[in-house]
Amino acid sequence: MLKLDSVQFQYSVDSERYDFSMHIDAGTIACVSGRSGSGKSTLLDLIAGFLIPTKGALYWADQNFTSLAPDERPVTTVFQNNNLFEHRNAIDNVVVGINPKIPKHGKDVERAKEALEAVELSDYAHTRVSQLSGGQQQRVAIARAILRQSRVILLDEPFSALDQQTRHSMLALVRHLATEQQRAILMVTHDLRDCEAIADSHYVIETGQLHLKKQISRRPG
Amino acid sequence: MHRSLITPLTTPLFRRAVLTCALAATAVTSIPATAAASKTLTVYTYDAFAADWGPAPGIEKAFEKVCDCDLQFVAADSSIGALRKIQLEGDQTKADVILGLDTNIAEAARETGLFAEHGADTAALTLPTGEWSDSTFLPFDYSYFSFVYNKENVPTPPTSFATLNELPNDFKIVIQDPRSSTPGLGLLLWIQAAYGEQADSIWKQLAPKIVTVTKGWSDAYGLFLKDEADMVLSYTTSPAYHEIAEQDTRFAAAPFDEGHYLQIEVAAIVKSSTNQELAKQFMQFMLSDTVQDIIPTTNWVYPATSTEKGLPEGFTSLHVPEKTLLIDGIEVEKSRAQWIDQWVETLGN
Amino acid sequence: MPGLIIACLLLTLAVVLFFQLAAHPTASTLSVGPRIIKTIGWTTLQASLSTILSLAIGLTLCWALSHRKQFAGRSLYIALLSSALVLPTIVVILGIVSLLGRSGWVNDALEHLNLPTHEPIIFGLAGIVIAHCYFNASYVARTLLSRFESIPTEQVKLTRSLGLNAWQRFKMIELPAVSSTIPTLAITIFLLCFTSFSIVLILGGSPKFNTLEVSIYEAIKLDFNLGRALGLALTQLAICATLVVIGARFGKDNKLIATANVKPQPWSDSLFVSLLQAAIIALFGLAFALPLVAVLIDGIAADYRAILTDPYFQRATITSLLIATLSTLLVLLISTLLAISFATLATEQRLGKHNTSRFVLRLLSFSSTLYLAVPSLVLGLGFFLLARTIGGDHTVWALVALLTSNVLMVLPFAIGTLAPAMIKAANRYDKLAFSLGIKKWARWRLIESHLLRPELTYVASLAFCMSLGDLGIIALFGNQDFVTLPWLLYQKMGSYRTDEAAGIALVMLCITLTVFLLLPMINSRRDADHHAKT
Repeated sequence: MLKLDSVQFQYSVDSERYDFSMHIDAGTIACVSGRSGSGKSTLLDLIAGFLIPTKGALYWADQNFTSLAPDERPVTTVFQNNNLFEHRNAIDNVVVGINPKIPKHGKDVERAKEALEAVELSDYAHTRVSQLSGGQQQRVAIARAILRQSRVILLDEPFSALDQQTRHSMLALVRHLATEQQRAILMVTHDLRDCEAIADSHYVIETGQLHLKKQISRRPG
Repeated sequence: MHRSLITPLTTPLFRRAVLTCALAATAVTSIPATAAASKTLTVYTYDAFAADWGPAPGIEKAFEKVCDCDLQFVAADSSIGALRKIQLEGDQTKADVILGLDTNIAEAARETGLFAEHGADTAALTLPTGEWSDSTFLPFDYSYFSFVYNKENVPTPPTSFATLNELPNDFKIVIQDPRSSTPGLGLLLWIQAAYGEQADSIWKQLAPKIVTVTKGWSDAYGLFLKDEADMVLSYTTSPAYHEIAEQDTRFAAAPFDEGHYLQIEVAAIVKSSTNQELAKQFMQFMLSDTVQDIIPTTNWVYPATSTEKGLPEGFTSLHVPEKTLLIDGIEVEKSRAQWIDQWVETLGN
Repeated sequence: MPGLIIACLLLTLAVVLFFQLAAHPTASTLSVGPRIIKTIGWTTLQASLSTILSLAIGLTLCWALSHRKQFAGRSLYIALLSSALVLPTIVVILGIVSLLGRSGWVNDALEHLNLPTHEPIIFGLAGIVIAHCYFNASYVARTLLSRFESIPTEQVKLTRSLGLNAWQRFKMIELPAVSSTIPTLAITIFLLCFTSFSIVLILGGSPKFNTLEVSIYEAIKLDFNLGRALGLALTQLAICATLVVIGARFGKDNKLIATANVKPQPWSDSLFVSLLQAAIIALFGLAFALPLVAVLIDGIAADYRAILTDPYFQRATITSLLIATLSTLLVLLISTLLAISFATLATEQRLGKHNTSRFVLRLLSFSSTLYLAVPSLVLGLGFFLLARTIGGDHTVWALVALLTSNVLMVLPFAIGTLAPAMIKAANRYDKLAFSLGIKKWARWRLIESHLLRPELTYVASLAFCMSLGDLGIIALFGNQDFVTLPWLLYQKMGSYRTDEAAGIALVMLCITLTVFLLLPMINSRRDADHHAKT
């Protein structure tokens, strides 16, 4: 379970103070929405480790990871864009998630291939990612998140640039990740339909705080 | 090797640095090294003296025949430049001898305390000033400063500083910097000797005619030959070069009514040199007929002694100034800095 | 952070070298000489004129170029403009003299047409300003062109639909687009002209137009007055540092990051404006090319068998290439490390982390510009005196001194090129790299080495060419054992071996243009390949 225990942050003395508390169980999806500038990116940066909270703590399975570096946290982020090294092919972009040296052969590459297979991109392993479509690119990023085995996956408006059909298949993939692989997924979006479609809980950020708006019970699977 | 100016890159540290670049290393080592000689005598001088067409190659060849040494000329952009170089290098200087200062700057050089006695027999000297008594600086040639012009471009040359100043300002002259070049300093003293207190007003009128002030004699003369100026500050003996070497009789030195300032070029031994004996041998050699016969047709000035062979044809027809000006070296040194500051001030306005 | 350490080391080195001078016995009386006020006055006038003219010419040319997007040889034209920064000063001066001298091409042509010939203008203020404009106007045009081209298409469309004419459009969108760059650019150019050395040394004509840098040279080389040299150096440093501080106030412009190139607009201007633009391009092209053509024509006639077999020339070539190569490697290393610090700090500041990073960032950008203000001759002399104190081989010291001054000369330009690209790369990939734990060498290999390839190539060719062509402190160090190509050329010019000088100049011009134009071309081809696939 991912737990935020009154995680506080302030960019400067005279700016808004954020105070976030929430929890996401393994195997569930939480959706966070809010107006632009409400603090959605700040929330993700705090969890991913790009910002250090002034007070409060973050836990995974009761272990405090507040002071860990971004790459040491049990967290993987799928950004809205700039997820991929565009001059490299898909398999390189996946394998880099577990081995920065980017090997061409070996166990890591085999595992990366499996991850690509899980997102149905086996045929594109050796294609330069700049030549893939938007949906395919986001699937490469998700394949990397799968490979990294992070228990928490943060999705930062990952599907906002995709067409309706691609978007549906991506949402299904995310739901699958949560249920089948028991990951805790936090998805930031401004599109409430995404929340309705797959989320188990729906938070809204207002005046610097997270408010649980809705709990949606779903049948497993 | 034809030109001993070229010293191979033999310093171990530099070679090590060079070796890091394989390409460079092969190329560098492919330059033939100078034949090993027992001793090397290094002479700092001005560029024109050390040039291919200057006196240096002839002197070198002749001296190396008798000295069992390697004579190397190192060219600075001017003779005062050579002096500054020795001052800057201090004890580490490679120079054994400096060649090309004149009596005007000799006192300043003496005050640096960097020079030793020349020890040469000066009896043979036949300078217009008579006997020579300086035991540090040894004269080896002389001439008179003068403006040189091309007779085709300037049909009626000025006959004095006064008439020069009366010419329109599009009449251009090129001169040298008195801080770096002995002719430049010579002109400063020439006007000073001729006009004393009025010197500054002469300079003020001269200023708009000066196309540029060069660091050394050769820059100025080159500009003149490229037609960038109508007259150049040089020597009364310069036309001999064009007549003898180029069979070109268009060039002449303009006689000035105020008289002409005399330049006696001198050499000196560097005190820190470890080749004192060899340096003394070289100093005496400078007064030998061999060198003195080389000088007129390479440095294009008068030799400091009368040699058996005498002056070459072309020199004898030159205009010899009726009136010679010369300020005593010690007097020069007293006021040199002040005059130069005044000169910079006048030209800088 | 290695970048910060290097920045500090460089500044410490400068202080140590200054101290060497101050500690010298002859420097006991610190003075600035009687002419200091006049020197500063004339130099300010000269630098202001040069700056204003360079900006005016450069801006006009840039405007014309940005509107004439399709003419044969446009990319070569622009590449040549960029090369102005690296053309060996002394070679261009030679070309300008052949062109504008009293018996130069222009006067020959005028005489041929029975027109009155011009007065000799190349020596003195006019000559200095002409030479400065030659280099800096091209630099201005090249720098501003990317600004012109990054004006959003929507704005261009808007002004078009509102029916604004060329002048109104210039006022409404083009001038505002460049106005934030101009103060910084102006101060850089002013600094370059204020501290100008070779141009003023050769074209100055008399002590009147001496810059402080040339006065320092004269104080050392002509008067051997180290106290005065030091006094002048400190004066120059103080003035330039003040200017840099003022420049930094204007330099808050954080939009350094170039936006993607905009596709050419197929609209044509009115016939008059189009002709005007074409005329500006042609005229400037002519003015830019003629001195180079003069060097080419004078040089072609040279006796290359004599030049190439001259062991002097061979050694000068090897020394110059060696120094240029070493300088390039050093510049790449140092500027990369500095740029990494720059990018890291900028990112930290953006993420609102350390407040101190804002201060260090300022300091870093400040120090990189400050190198422009450090008189390289004083550094050179400092090395010289250090060599006397420590001992060791003169040639090695000369090499070290030359490398140092080359690095300091190129660094401001190198950092100016690399830092924005680094920040751009950081903006794009920092979070991803952090979250994946890609660090240090792996990160460099994966991100910067790829994204920064064009900038690194540019910096490399910049460093190589500038180091190859600079006369600078070699004027102090040059001797028989240690000759570089510019020094050899200066000597040949000095002794008016015109023929050999022209030959050497042409060789230098060829090396420079080859390196500068070919290297990026190879790179851009690879880049084009890359884009073709996408």
